[in-house]
Amino acid sequence: MNNIATIEVLDLRRSFGETHAVQGVSFEVKQGEIFSLLGPNGAGKTTTISMLSCLLRPDEGDARVMGHSIRTDQMGVKSVLGVVPQEIALYEDLTARENLIFWGKMYGLRGPALKSRVNEVLEIIGLSDRAHERVGKYSGGMKRRVNIGVALLHKPQVIYMDEPTVGIDPQSRRNILDSVIALKNQGMTVLYTTHYMEESQEISDHIAIMDYGKVIASGTHEELVKLVGGKTRIDLTLNTNAENVISAWQSVEGVERVTKDEETISVLVEDSNIVLPRLFESATKHSARITSVDIREPNLESVFLHLTGRALRD
Amino acid sequence: MKALDIALKDMLRSFRSFFAVIFMFVIPLLVTGMFYFMFGNIADSGEFSLPKTKVIVANMDKGGPKFNVNTKNIPGGKDADTMGELIVGILESDDMADLIVVAHASSPAAARAAVDNQTQQVAIIIPLDFSKKFADINEDAAIEFYQDPTLTIGPSVIRAILNRFTDGMASVKIAVNVFMDEAQPEEQIYVGEVVQRYLKISLAEEDDLEAELLDVRTPVKEDAAAKSENLLVRIVGPIMGGMMIFYAFYTGTSTGQSILREEEERTMPRLFTTPTSQATILSGKFLSVFMTVSVQVIVLLVVAKYLFGINWGDILPVTISALGIIFSASSFGIFVNSLLKDTRQSGVIFGGVLTVTGMVGMINTFSGNMPNSAQFGDVSLLVPQGWAVLGLTQSMNGQPIASLLTTMSVLLAWGVVFFTVGVWRFNKRYA
Repeated sequence: MNNIATIEVLDLRRSFGETHAVQGVSFEVKQGEIFSLLGPNGAGKTTTISMLSCLLRPDEGDARVMGHSIRTDQMGVKSVLGVVPQEIALYEDLTARENLIFWGKMYGLRGPALKSRVNEVLEIIGLSDRAHERVGKYSGGMKRRVNIGVALLHKPQVIYMDEPTVGIDPQSRRNILDSVIALKNQGMTVLYTTHYMEESQEISDHIAIMDYGKVIASGTHEELVKLVGGKTRIDLTLNTNAENVISAWQSVEGVERVTKDEETISVLVEDSNIVLPRLFESATKHSARITSVDIREPNLESVFLHLTGRALRD
Repeated sequence: MKALDIALKDMLRSFRSFFAVIFMFVIPLLVTGMFYFMFGNIADSGEFSLPKTKVIVANMDKGGPKFNVNTKNIPGGKDADTMGELIVGILESDDMADLIVVAHASSPAAARAAVDNQTQQVAIIIPLDFSKKFADINEDAAIEFYQDPTLTIGPSVIRAILNRFTDGMASVKIAVNVFMDEAQPEEQIYVGEVVQRYLKISLAEEDDLEAELLDVRTPVKEDAAAKSENLLVRIVGPIMGGMMIFYAFYTGTSTGQSILREEEERTMPRLFTTPTSQATILSGKFLSVFMTVSVQVIVLLVVAKYLFGINWGDILPVTISALGIIFSASSFGIFVNSLLKDTRQSGVIFGGVLTVTGMVGMINTFSGNMPNSAQFGDVSLLVPQGWAVLGLTQSMNGQPIASLLTTMSVLLAWGVVFFTVGVWRFNKRYA
């Protein structure tokens, strides 16, 4: 990884009627790093990546991918780019090999070079022995792997991955995350979108948190965690109506913020060892009993909660 | 090159689809095969005959200026003093014996009553002044044709016979009129010879009633196999042609649907992320439609030729017809799909548009021998399928290339309009 900016995004904006999906997004992705766009559904991640893939034209702003402008040099952008879309975008009535051959041709590969690269990619995605089967017969995880394989065919310098682990089993998810790290190790620049905080935390060199079409925070995992000042999140559930307890807890010394998501109450605190007994005491005073406690060290979830007042899973 | 890759990929997908192959090849051949075996059995048995039609004739004709008719030239060879007798003579001739049973009525009312009470199927009423009017250049001679409305084939045969006869007589009348207008007074005594010559031509030589009717009825003994085969091919050929055109339009529309399907499968947006221009992608999609329909039409033409022995015509006309069918069916498919938002809409649109236009276009195929079939033929030309059927029929009938090219020009115009609108709409959609 070095300091050369592979992707430069400058004040991108895009609206759909009255909906302002992306409102002035700017960031830089350095060569050879994994850069995550983290945010809940509807945050504007896919719209941003669609503009960076030249699928959508921005209303305002521009971006450069390896020096190619998404406004004025779309073919240049597409030639250095591999895109893994959020949905499986494959021909299910063709085999994995036939799919890869076709997509390879679309990236300009021909003849022996194509054949050899298809074999390599089949090895990378671990489907060499099932390459002759139609994709429609594959499991969700296998389809995801072929979906990624297509984007690797032309050995792109930059790869976009739009929520590639949605709806798949843990084993396939692990496989995909490992392959993303492997791509980085091969020198590729990866722009990765997800709403899974753990994924982002595990693989990213740099994270931009998006909400309502804006980047609300950006930095390394450590930098972002510092934003919450090392605060701990305690998730609790109660046996009774929580409203009285929540308002009581908000005034407990050492509590920064209290939010409720369905049955779970999240409390952001300075020091859980000191504050937790106070929360029990307050609950008892209001005739409520705490039925579960989960103490979470500062993480991206806490950061999102700290910045937006909402849990990331919202 | 990428456009061809896209087209070949689409073709591979199409031909891998079990249902697509069934609809493209199996059903048109199956339907034609059903007709082939149905009519084939009849032809092979040598017993293909229509039930005899009961005809009652009320010949009231009192005669008029007598023509100098050589009765040996009239089928049946009977003496005839009036035009009415001439018609009766033809109907009662031995050649007609397999088709009709003639009875006589004393009055028009009696003839109509016989049809009304269903003891007879057709009444032919020849009026008192038929011969007289026929001989008068200023008058129109007409025969009343009264039939049981529930019957179609028998009365149609009788009507065809009478039409041939009256057409022949009308030509004689025209010849006489022209002769009388242009001949010198001293030459007008030769009018009888003119009548004789034209009657000979009209009734006996050019309009070979006997031969024509025999074609309809039954194979003759000498080359029965060949004749039955010809008859069969003449029945099955237009049906196969119609089926091929109907399903070529279906295939054009169904293959064109792959553009919408790729949107829904998200492969179309993914194609747009590759370094492949929009023009190339759409060209590939359109090319796939043309290529798929081409394969279908060529396969059906060849298989039908060898399977059913259908003679599609000479190589040049049939090639021109096939190109017309391919271009119009493909363009039609692109156009129809350009109007749709997604494949969910396509079920209704395909069902409605293809069925209605297909049925209208094929009216001629199934109504060729019905009364008013000429009017149906005009209706069929309201849709491109009708022109495609017409072009193929012209090729099969060995009509001059000029008339085929005229038909193909119209079909080409349909195709150009469909293609232009379709391409424009798709380009706008992805702009």
